[in-house]
Amino acid sequence: MSLVNFTTREITCKIVYYGPGRSGKTTNLQYIYSQVPDDRKGRMVSLATQTDRTLFFDFLPLDLGSISGFTTKFQLYTVPGQVYYNATRKLVLQGADGVVFVADSQLRQLDENIESLQNLQANLLEHTIDVRTLPMVLQYNKQDLPRELILSKEELDDALNFRDAPAFPADALHGAGVFETLQAVSAAVLRKLSDTGAGARR
Amino acid sequence: MTVTTVVEQWTEQPLVRFVTQSGARLCVVMTPAGQVLAQHGFTRAVDLMSAAALGAAIMASSSALAQTVGEATFGALYHAGNKHGIHLAGCDTPRGRLVVLTVFGKESSIGLVQLFFDEFIAGLRQAAPVSEARKPVLAADFEDQLNSSLATLFRR
Repeated sequence: MSLVNFTTREITCKIVYYGPGRSGKTTNLQYIYSQVPDDRKGRMVSLATQTDRTLFFDFLPLDLGSISGFTTKFQLYTVPGQVYYNATRKLVLQGADGVVFVADSQLRQLDENIESLQNLQANLLEHTIDVRTLPMVLQYNKQDLPRELILSKEELDDALNFRDAPAFPADALHGAGVFETLQAVSAAVLRKLSDTGAGARR
Repeated sequence: MTVTTVVEQWTEQPLVRFVTQSGARLCVVMTPAGQVLAQHGFTRAVDLMSAAALGAAIMASSSALAQTVGEATFGALYHAGNKHGIHLAGCDTPRGRLVVLTVFGKESSIGLVQLFFDEFIAGLRQAAPVSEARKPVLAADFEDQLNSSLATLFRR
């Protein structure tokens, strides 16, 4: 839940990048880290295996600056995508204000995308969060791969985007779509905060 | 330099008293999601955001591990280093569950921290307000400012 300090006029929100293994969640954060000036970001923490697969999470704090008179900070997290890390995935999801679902656009990864989306829904339910009420954005990554290997945005929308959430084709390795995804999820999270206000944290 | 920052005012008095009594260098009160509610002590040497995220993660994973071996939860966690030790514990309050990370040096000890910790938790529970009316936060036209902030951030 977004944390609002009315005395210092600060807002802190948590956004989780979710999706199947090797879909590009960490790559999104690495690209954001590489683009943002030093004074607007904290240290990027990656708890990864020796082969650079995410073991627990990646963490990147961002300072968005002043919005409506509130200094607005976002904490970006990724989850480990591999199926057998579900316990840690569930822990990272705790307290999320918004989710970016990073799908792998490759045709052969469609089942993994669907399984991961179902897993997201199940884990949110365990935190008593209705997936329909949580700000969510989809990103169809790896759209730079040859056409014959990937599904189009329309095909991925049909397969994954049952909520008609904002969805963006992306090539996170080179940055295409990364900014648009962050912009959309940030707006959705702050829009919800604007609609509901800040209250008791439970 | 000792720094105090509080998001929720009711945490301040018990927190400052605990740090003074225990001789800890730094204490951070946070949500289970790793968002900092209050901090007091020598914060300059510590990347507080990362420390909070990692502290919350340790608590969450140790609780999950406890459940897998049939325990409701483990108690406080303690790690000793050459110069610093950390004490990490969770507590339930009327405002929800909190996680407390305490960093202490050679001028204190795990014994001192533990000695005053229960009193600290009791103080937090007593000070915590039960409920609070929701307050409006952002103006309806926040999106223009958000887009401009993000464009600056990405140098667009």
